[in-house]
Amino acid sequence: MEAFAQSIEGGTIYTWVTSTSWLWPFMEILHFIGLSLLLGALLVIDLRMMGFFRAIDIRAIHTLLLWVFIGFALNLVTGILFFFGDPMRYAVHAGFQLKMVLILLAGINAVWYSWKIHPAMQEWDANVNPPAPAKLVGSISLVLWLSILLLGRLIPYVSTG
Amino acid sequence: MEMLYSVEESAIALWVGESLWGYPFLLSLHVVGLAVIAGIAIMLDLRLLGSFRSLDLESFLPLMKFAWIGFVINAVSGVLLFTSQASYFVTLLPFLLKIGLIFIAAVITGVIQQKIRNASSTRLGLLATISLVAWLGAIVNGRLIAYF
Repeated sequence: MEAFAQSIEGGTIYTWVTSTSWLWPFMEILHFIGLSLLLGALLVIDLRMMGFFRAIDIRAIHTLLLWVFIGFALNLVTGILFFFGDPMRYAVHAGFQLKMVLILLAGINAVWYSWKIHPAMQEWDANVNPPAPAKLVGSISLVLWLSILLLGRLIPYVSTG
Repeated sequence: MEMLYSVEESAIALWVGESLWGYPFLLSLHVVGLAVIAGIAIMLDLRLLGSFRSLDLESFLPLMKFAWIGFVINAVSGVLLFTSQASYFVTLLPFLLKIGLIFIAAVITGVIQQKIRNASSTRLGLLATISLVAWLGAIVNGRLIAYF
């Protein structure tokens, strides 16, 4: 990771990010809007999967995934640019590394959802109390994304390690 | 201003500003609260503007009660963060804009909820647009505070 980070320093993107003064605050704003879209939509989906707010038709919640993807795409692009703008800081940062691992786990959880849970959901009643596997997937997603949110917010306050 | 200086010297303000964990802890609460209130309110706005129409509007109402918990978390954590630099924050344009936009966003979101409860669909698109712009504007200005 450090070797990769070193290869970025001095490159075209690194130079662009570090020499454009408005870019960093602009990307932070987009990153915060992205997290609001991602978390906002996921809170609805995950809480419903966990069995809360049963007035919401569980067969329709997957339509909110559009906003999860838009938020994630926004944060992936801005996140990569943050990394390219300060590679040596992020590469060795334990909080950042853990955040990336948790995002990977959330991705695996999402694959499990789309492979095992989602196909079965269409047969359920609108206001059903979901079976245990769906509750588990929803709970794991919520815990992971809240942890990712907190780790991201604390990156500036935790020293590198 | 005199009052704001005395706020800054209060025990709680000193804890927020000078303890190792006070500020990061409150910022963490503030971003979770943001995701809950702004995130869910924005979803309601997007639904009213035509996204994910298969989700019934009235089924959103219990969820909005939950969303206001996020608002309370952020009002409390926000006031505490404010105490540490009260006299400085009141002079910052992004801070003042943020507070104004949150006020507008919260009122409009409340009005939207009331209209859905009364099954009144008049002007919901316009209100949703104002709410969406106000919540996003509050986020933009909140982030800009760090750069002034």
